[in-house]
Amino acid sequence: MSQKQYWSDLEDRRNIETQKEIGENEFKEELPFDLSESVFNATTPRRDFLKFLGFSTLAATIVSSCEMPVRKAIPYAIKPEDITPGVPNYYASTFVDGGDYCPVVVKTREGRPIKVEGNELSSITRGGTSARVQASVLNLYDKARLTHPISGGKEVTFDALDREIKEGLAGKNGYLVTCSMMSPSTEEVLKQFLAKFPGIKHINYDAISYSGMLQANEASYGKRTLPTYHFDKAATIVSIDADFLGTWMAPIEFSKGYAQTRKISAKNPTLSKHYHVEAIHTITGAAADERATCRPSEVGAVAIALYNAVNGTAPSLPSAKLNKMIAAAAEDLKKGNGLVVCGSNDMNVQMVVNAINNKIGADGNTVNWVTTSNTWKGIDKDMADMITAMEGGQVGVVMLHGVNPVYDHVDSKRFTAALAKVPMTISFAERMDETAQKCKYVIPDHNYLESWGDAEPKVGYYSLMQPAITPLFKTRAFQDSLMSWMDAGQTYGDYWQLYWTTQMGGQANFDMALQSGVMEPEKMPNGAATFVGNVGAAIAAVQAKKAASGLEVVVYQKVGIGHGGAWSNNPWLQEMPDPMTRSVWDNYLCVSPKRAKQLGAELTGFSEVDYNKYVAKVTGANGYAVNLPIIVVPGMHNDVVAIATGYGRDAKVGRAAASDATKGGKNAYPFTTFNGTNVEYYSNVNVVKVDEKYEVAIIQTHSSYENRPVVHEFTLDEFRKDPHALQKERGVEISHYSQEPWHEGHHGEALATPEMEDNFREKGTLYPNHPYEGIKWGMSIDLNTCTGCGACVVGCVAENNISVVGKYHALRSHEMHWIRIDRYFSGMPDDPDTIQTIFQPMLCQHCDNAPCENVCPVSATNHSTEGLNQMAYNRCIGTKYCANNCPYKVRHFNWMDWNGADAFKDNIFEDGRRDDINDDLTRMVLNPDVTVRSRGVMEKCTFCVQRLQEAKLAAKKAGRPMMDGEAKTACQQSCPSDCITFGNVNDKESEIYKIRRNEQIERTFYVLEHVHTLPNINYLSRVRNTAEIVAGDEKKDGMYAEHI
Amino acid sequence: MHIKYESFVREPLVDGDKDYHQVSEDIVSPIERKPGRMWYIGFIFSIILLCFGIFSVTWSVYWGLGTWGVNRTIGWGWDITNFVWWIGIGHAGTLISAILLLFRQGWRTGVNRAAEAMTIFAVMCAGQFPIWHMGRVWDGFWVLPLPNTRGPLWPNFDSPLLWDVFAISTYFTVSLLFWYSGLLPDFALIRDRAKTKLRKRLYGLASFGWTGTAKNWQRMEALALVLAGLSTPLVLSVHTIVSFDFATSVIPGWHTTIFPPYFVAGAVFSGFAMVNTLLVITRKILKLEDYITIGHLEAMNKIIVLTGSIVGVAYLTELFMSWYSQAWGEMEAFKWRIVGPYWWSYWAMMTCNVVSPQLFWIKKLRRNIPFTFVMSIVVNIGMWFERFVIIATSTYRDWIPGSWAYYSPEWPEIGFYLGTFGLFFTCYFLFAKYFPVVAVHEIKFVLKTSGDNYKRAMLPHEEQSLEEFVHEADSHHGHEEEHAVAHH
Repeated sequence: MSQKQYWSDLEDRRNIETQKEIGENEFKEELPFDLSESVFNATTPRRDFLKFLGFSTLAATIVSSCEMPVRKAIPYAIKPEDITPGVPNYYASTFVDGGDYCPVVVKTREGRPIKVEGNELSSITRGGTSARVQASVLNLYDKARLTHPISGGKEVTFDALDREIKEGLAGKNGYLVTCSMMSPSTEEVLKQFLAKFPGIKHINYDAISYSGMLQANEASYGKRTLPTYHFDKAATIVSIDADFLGTWMAPIEFSKGYAQTRKISAKNPTLSKHYHVEAIHTITGAAADERATCRPSEVGAVAIALYNAVNGTAPSLPSAKLNKMIAAAAEDLKKGNGLVVCGSNDMNVQMVVNAINNKIGADGNTVNWVTTSNTWKGIDKDMADMITAMEGGQVGVVMLHGVNPVYDHVDSKRFTAALAKVPMTISFAERMDETAQKCKYVIPDHNYLESWGDAEPKVGYYSLMQPAITPLFKTRAFQDSLMSWMDAGQTYGDYWQLYWTTQMGGQANFDMALQSGVMEPEKMPNGAATFVGNVGAAIAAVQAKKAASGLEVVVYQKVGIGHGGAWSNNPWLQEMPDPMTRSVWDNYLCVSPKRAKQLGAELTGFSEVDYNKYVAKVTGANGYAVNLPIIVVPGMHNDVVAIATGYGRDAKVGRAAASDATKGGKNAYPFTTFNGTNVEYYSNVNVVKVDEKYEVAIIQTHSSYENRPVVHEFTLDEFRKDPHALQKERGVEISHYSQEPWHEGHHGEALATPEMEDNFREKGTLYPNHPYEGIKWGMSIDLNTCTGCGACVVGCVAENNISVVGKYHALRSHEMHWIRIDRYFSGMPDDPDTIQTIFQPMLCQHCDNAPCENVCPVSATNHSTEGLNQMAYNRCIGTKYCANNCPYKVRHFNWMDWNGADAFKDNIFEDGRRDDINDDLTRMVLNPDVTVRSRGVMEKCTFCVQRLQEAKLAAKKAGRPMMDGEAKTACQQSCPSDCITFGNVNDKESEIYKIRRNEQIERTFYVLEHVHTLPNINYLSRVRNTAEIVAGDEKKDGMYAEHI
Repeated sequence: MHIKYESFVREPLVDGDKDYHQVSEDIVSPIERKPGRMWYIGFIFSIILLCFGIFSVTWSVYWGLGTWGVNRTIGWGWDITNFVWWIGIGHAGTLISAILLLFRQGWRTGVNRAAEAMTIFAVMCAGQFPIWHMGRVWDGFWVLPLPNTRGPLWPNFDSPLLWDVFAISTYFTVSLLFWYSGLLPDFALIRDRAKTKLRKRLYGLASFGWTGTAKNWQRMEALALVLAGLSTPLVLSVHTIVSFDFATSVIPGWHTTIFPPYFVAGAVFSGFAMVNTLLVITRKILKLEDYITIGHLEAMNKIIVLTGSIVGVAYLTELFMSWYSQAWGEMEAFKWRIVGPYWWSYWAMMTCNVVSPQLFWIKKLRRNIPFTFVMSIVVNIGMWFERFVIIATSTYRDWIPGSWAYYSPEWPEIGFYLGTFGLFFTCYFLFAKYFPVVAVHEIKFVLKTSGDNYKRAMLPHEEQSLEEFVHEADSHHGHEEEHAVAHH
């Protein structure tokens, strides 16, 4: 210390010594090494040296002889424009599948589409999605997609193919069959193509057809189109066999509208009234206030009865409940703002429905005849005529795009035979489906995520489609094929761009439109149309049909799989539990409990846990017979059985879809019938139990909520009279524990309020309270608007890389879904009209006093300062103790190596059907922001923590607090009914805060609140606009009383 | 030697005409002989079971626990059932060796060695389950509070599973020490009798140089007392802590304060039954009927009927409390337990554990060897079901009906369980062959007071009238006194 030390102030002077030391040391803290003299001064004797030498040589040998894994990584030598690794790009596009439509925003990472969200700018779907839209991104990476064009079973080049086809097309008569298309530019291309080849006729074909409606509308209003239904404007909704929330026409749009009339609060205690008549039990029926069943062949009679009722004649149907309901419905419809929809595909029935809507003044109000819908266009008769023509040998060429009649046509045998007579058959199928296999040329189309395109779902409403990735395979847009055969001299992409630039008047407008995805008028024009239909004749025609007796089968669409198509091969959808049956990977014979008893397949407390189900042989009038397992669905009409479409697929459709006697279900389409005008999706069948059993993977075995305070239901009247009933009930449970035991006062009589909740949080435990400052995440789920559609389940799967486990493990309750939708029935099993159904999304409740956390021996699951219950996968050793101690049973263990993420070689679980999910191609769908969990660790809902982090970081970078709504969970975003609210409960401006503290305080409850788990998810009670809640009433709820 | 006179009313603890040499001969000679055919058959069968167990475990570690039947709702099934069951069985050994030692129960000498061995083997079997039921068993050592470079990260001391780790490892260590220290003089005996060099060498090593000096004996006795003192709380604590796995949870049917005493009683119950199972066979095969007498078995049966009744009271208390609490979760849990799809397991438990042991109130049955054997198996089946009932039939229908499920084991789980039988019996057969199955030195300790021939020698005294006896004793005593005085 020869140099002088200068100090600037006294503090500095005091510290000067220590500072010096700190400055000298590289590390501030003491290093955990023993750097004592003995180490430095140790001599290494010769022998030790040799020992070390030996060891290190050996070690080096061992290490270097281990095979180093080959890692596939391609560095960006030159950074592509627009792509920053780790930063997602979003592209507005449009999901179209036949008449199914959803404007979307595609999230891409490093050039790969990984997630599809609803486009919130669309006033039609308003950001909503469906399970299929969510799952559509997986179809892009489907291994069963065709990778090249085929001619006569061999790979060919497009050039060779085009030459051959152009030659063949010249002067030929034929048909171009497409699914319903709503693309204006494609229609333009088609027009030019048909002009060039005048012998070719274009027809639309839909597997599930709306032909009856289209024809009825033509007859009633002179318009062969579908109207826009304004469910949001409807005060009374009568649905006759129309599953408008699940599968009918435009479920996303309808769910959005419907949900608006189902939002209720104590301040505004109004609800629409939804009457529902159906043959089977659908999610729409579950949402209804009044529900009754009829045979599918009685739908016409029900429509007539309603028509008569609105005209003043009392209904006289065989079912007393139906009569009562129709009379009441007619009364309500007359009050105005009514809406009647019908799922029948019989044009005469639809004509009667049109007459009702006309009579009650719905036209121009809830039924919009000005802004009509372009969604579905197929006319059944066209297809029948085509088959006749093909049989007659008059058809030289058939081109099939987006259709699969060999699988799904009402008379597929006849179609197949007729197709064989056609000399030139061209398919644009993206996979070797049943029809493509019968075609000479197969020119695979792009996936919609690889395509340019557009849609006009409603007149004047446009939506653009742009590729989010270059085509993965040697595929070509359907339009490009047509254009090259008609020598258009340009690609469809160029044509499309020109078309829209012209339409919109300039590049700038076009660019803007492409960014936003949708172009819409400010306000939707609405108006009526003149009803000119002959109702009398329609009624006579309906009544002329013989009333059915015996058993009838209904061919229905599952909410997930739909009509079949590519969806059959989508493992996400196959593994999405069907909302009603809660089963996966199969179709089956749905029967009512009473029918099941008669068949000897009764559902009891003991048989419900047995996944080996009795099998029945179903024989149709045309001799088609299948063996299917019997699944009991309360709420089905006793004389009705139901089989879902989309199963019984050919092996080439894909590994997930492939079916044989042991897997993949059976084709239901052969049970449909053709009445000369329309296809009817029901027929008479004979059902006998056979001596056989079949395993069905049912995720939920028990159907009653056992009158437990897991869900809460009230009637509208009850809610109006005493909106605080639920708060009282909660008060009984928690008020005791929200004050000191010695505290005098009203034990158990007070209303549960947020203040009481706070006290309960603090005083319900011996342990100290953890304050949450800053952000505290919370979620609210409205049971009144949840329809059980499953969009959230698949949305979560896509966002969070949830593994698909396959049927074998699903039936052992090894499924991995972070969010499940519990479905509870109540009512008398033998009387389907008494069944009330409720859905409850159940996911990790992120308990602040989480039972899972304290039992983990290694603290792998713990609590964040923002109230998240989080999992450190790396730390988990898999004792499963947390899952046992979770009262909600929402923790999922990685039972097997689902995805190859563990350290063991060759031990991925394979069952033949789910295996493609681990293909290199399919794995491109994985979200790089979310860990792929390895075998042996526990996982569960994270509240999409990656999204929360992203939102917080974005706000931080912008230098402002995070705004409400910036962080959205995947389930919340996918919901078409806006059931889920999510946000920061510490933010007094947030939606979630307002719901809990103010707007919905009366309906708020926490599941198993009394266990003092302090969940961060609250639910809002269900309010039914009906006379009584049957659940828990031992006399009226047989599901509760009988099923031990 | 015991310096106490034992009444004739008490049964002899060693039957037949024995002297010290005969005792050594009877117990040690099986070790010196080649084992019999039955031993080979049993041993090979055990090894096969063990190998099947190893195969099953390897299979489930390689493929994952999805090869088991446990699922999202029932996270623990046969694995933890078997764990608790084996741990419970172990309790008998500790109870016999520790608590009965402290209470100076002479009859324990005949059975304690085998019972302690059983404890150790049972704990070894039990320990397999919490290890191999882990999803990532290769990271299982994270439960140990070892200094580490992972942060350092420590285990969660709040978790009952961690308490298990400490409880069971302590239990195993103390039991092993206790057992082994008792073996020292007997190993030395074998060493001294050994005719081959190898045997001399090995038993010499195993006996830690025991020379039989007074100091040796004194230290061993002291150690035995210390370890008995340590083991005694362990008998109570281990199963108490195991029961905490359930009692501290929030699942109805698990969350109950009655579990600690209930588990301990059940453990002793099943442990004694297992001891009976083993001893009935061992005494027959090794011809040790003179040392493990019917009297021993009867004493064990008495404890079985006592603990069985305690367990029965616990079951009824549980039922009563679920009704008395009027808490819906509790009431429903017990409803589904009794009448739900798993009704048969509840009734199997009730029949085997509560009803059937009551037959032991009948003395004839208590002393009937085939009946004792059958009952010992029945009780262990019942106790297995008790654990299954607690573990699986609580979770299978817990709070949220939407998540209810059912569970049946798959072959690797069954294989694992069979494998632990393989491990247990492999160890037991080796023990029976190479270790003295009855504590020789302890038998010798009670021989002269409780041996049949010595008791018979006292017969003339017993038949004497009191006056005669007093007179004889006085003169004898006086004589001794005189002698002592003279010596001084």
